[in-house]
This record gives sequence, structure tokens and C-alpha cells, in this order.
Amino acid sequence: MKDRHKTMDRVAILAVMNSVLAKRGRAAISDEAQTTRAANFRSLDFSETALRIEMQIDRELAFDAASMRRIATVKDVIDFFETATRAP
Amino acid sequence: MHTTNQSIIVSGGSRGLGLHLGQQFLAAGNRVATFARSRTPAMDDLAAQYGDAFHFAALDAVDAVGVGKFVADVARKFGAIDSLVNNAAIGQDQLLMHTDPATIQNIVNVNVIGPTILSRAVIKRMILQGGGNICNISSICGSRGYAGLSVYAGSKGYLDAMMRALAREVGEAGIFVNSVAPGFFESEMSSVLLPEQLATIRRRTPSGQLSNDANIFNVVDLVISGTTNMQGQVVYVDGGITI
Ligand SMILES: NC(=O)c1ccc[n+]([C@@H]2O[C@H](COP(=O)([O-])OP(=O)(O)OC[C@H]3O[C@@H](n4cnc5c(N)ncnc54)[C@H](OP(=O)(O)O)[C@@H]3O)[C@@H](O)[C@H]2O)c1
Repeated sequence: MKDRHKTMDRVAILAVMNSVLAKRGRAAISDEAQTTRAANFRSLDFSETALRIEMQIDRELAFDAASMRRIATVKDVIDFFETATRAP
Repeated sequence: MHTTNQSIIVSGGSRGLGLHLGQQFLAAGNRVATFARSRTPAMDDLAAQYGDAFHFAALDAVDAVGVGKFVADVARKFGAIDSLVNNAAIGQDQLLMHTDPATIQNIVNVNVIGPTILSRAVIKRMILQGGGNICNISSICGSRGYAGLSVYAGSKGYLDAMMRALAREVGEAGIFVNSVAPGFFESEMSSVLLPEQLATIRRRTPSGQLSNDANIFNVVDLVISGTTNMQGQVVYVDGGITI
């Protein structure tokens, strides 16, 4: 039986983001206030982060492109996944 | 052979073109996973010959949960999924006005929803792996008009259009998405064509011959080899009938 209520905290979410950046040979995020552009964190990095988080929490995250477009900073990304992974 | 030592999913590999693709990819040293609604004796032969390098599941392409489980099983068994060939499809042999709504729905389910949910599940794996190849088996019907094939043609046009959008979506992740569009070739699907119709097709084909499984395999083999930098293209294997 799968645990339907696994969540992820901000530290774990940032760790996933950094592992995606490391895979692409890019520098780790130094400051949550950075824009995603300045952090070199692109839309496919966002998708891969989502897929890795899905694997860790054992369920699919559903979100639309519009909510992704509102994201400007690394903090927004972490806030987004923190909310998306919150237990129902 | 261009494609070797890959883990490849070929949907609809129990007979026809899909069986030929599976056999050839296995013979070239790849691992092949396939599914169809019913198991054929050829599946037992391949299992006996290739052991763990071959995987078959009896599965309906429209069963989203089953497709998800199939992809997870293949990834576990083979360790990765390098390429996907969306081959499973059903045909049509009726004018639209005589095609009942349930048949229309079924063609759309199998030919549109099927490859879409399979691609979705495989892309998730490929993104995490850092790349892969997707080849849709489309048809010349996707870009040329043939009476009696309207819904089928629409489904193939959809595949080509989706392929281009996906190439944009996931190209940056090292995933190459293309279509191979055969002309008519001999199989159960095309067995509805009369000898006179086949003769007409042959006459209108610049090369004078219908494509066969081997012709199509040679192109699919190249397309999924990861050696071409070809992205978002439809390659016609039709003896030139569409030019
Ligand atoms: N034959 C032609 O002239 C021609 C021309 C251009 C393009 N194409 C394309 O080439 C591809 C192969 O065609 P073919 O002629 O080799 O067809 P085929 O001989 O009819 O074989 C179709 C394969 O797909 C499987 N399949 C069908 N419906 C399925 C479903 N709902 N779920 C899972 N598997 C399913 C079949 O197994 P089950 O029935 O047991 O499920 C079989 O393995 C298709 O995409 C077709 O559109 C064919």
C-alpha cells in the first residue's frame, strides 16, 4: 500500500533542484531570492524537478502552465512545490 | 544496423510491422518490450529465443493504468527506456457517413489516446534519464486524402502534429521525436485492399513498388539510433506516391 501523504520540506525541494542543475553541469543555487533566470533554472529543469519529486512522494503532481508562468524566483519554485506536495 | 544495445518499447508488436520491428531490433542486440491485446505464437518464440531481452504483456493501449504499469515494469526490467516506437493502431475501411460513432470513438481511443498516454509515461522516464528517441508510425494518410480512411487519417495527422509539439517540448532534454509515415504495405490492416486497388497504388508509385516491413525497419532503425540530430520530422517511406 502506497503512502498517499508523503510531503517534502523546503530543504528537500532545494536539494532536488540542485541535483537537477548538477546533472546539467550548472552551479548550485546560492540564494532563494535569485530569479530562476539568474540561477539558470529553466522550464525543463522545473519539469525534471517535478518528476523527481513525484517519484519521492509516490504520486503525480498536477499543475497547469499558467501557474508555472507566475514563477519568477527560486523562492517561488520552492513555495510552489511546497504547496503542491502538501498533504491533502 | 544503426540501433544496438538499446532498450526499446514497440507498441503492437504481436504481428504485422510491429512484430518485424521487434524481431529485427532483437536480432541487432537490443532489448525489446511490446504489448498487444492478444498474445500470438510469435511472442512465445521471441521469449524462448531472447529470454530476458524480450518482454511481452497482454494489454490494451487505451488502458492508462495498465500502460503506466507496463512502462514501470519495462524500466525496472531493462534498467532504462532508450526508445519508443508508437506502432499499435487500428485501421478503417468505411466512408465516414457509414462509420458508426462507437467505431469512430474506438479508432480515436486506440490511435490517438493510446500513443499519447504511452508517450507521456515514457517521456517521464526519458527526462530523468537525460534523453531518448520517440518514433511514431504515422501514415501517408496523415497528409494525403484517401476515401474510406477519414478517422484513421485524422488520427495519423494528430500523431504528426503532436510529434512536432513534443519535439519542441522535450528536445532540450535530449529527446528526439519523429514520425515515419509508410505508404500502404502488406499486413492484416491493409488486407482489405483489393488486388485492383493494389495495382492502382503500384502504378501511381514512382518506385513501382509498395513499401515492405524491411524498408520501414531500415528507416525506423536510423530514426531511433540517436545518430541523426533529426528532430520533429515526418519521413515518408512510400516509394514516392505522395510527391
Ligand atoms: N498496413 C499498412 O498499409 C499501413 C500503412 C501505413 C501505416 N501503417 C501503420 O503501421 C502500423 C502497423 O500497422 P500493421 O499494418 O502492422 O497493423 P496490424 O498488422 O493490424 O498490427 C497492429 C498491431 O497493433 C496491435 N493493436 C491493435 N489495437 C491495439 C490495442 N487497442 N491495444 C494494444 N495493441 C493493439 C495489434 O495486436 P492486437 O490486435 O492483439 O491488439 C497488432 O500487434 C500502424 O500504426 C499503422 O497505422 C500501416
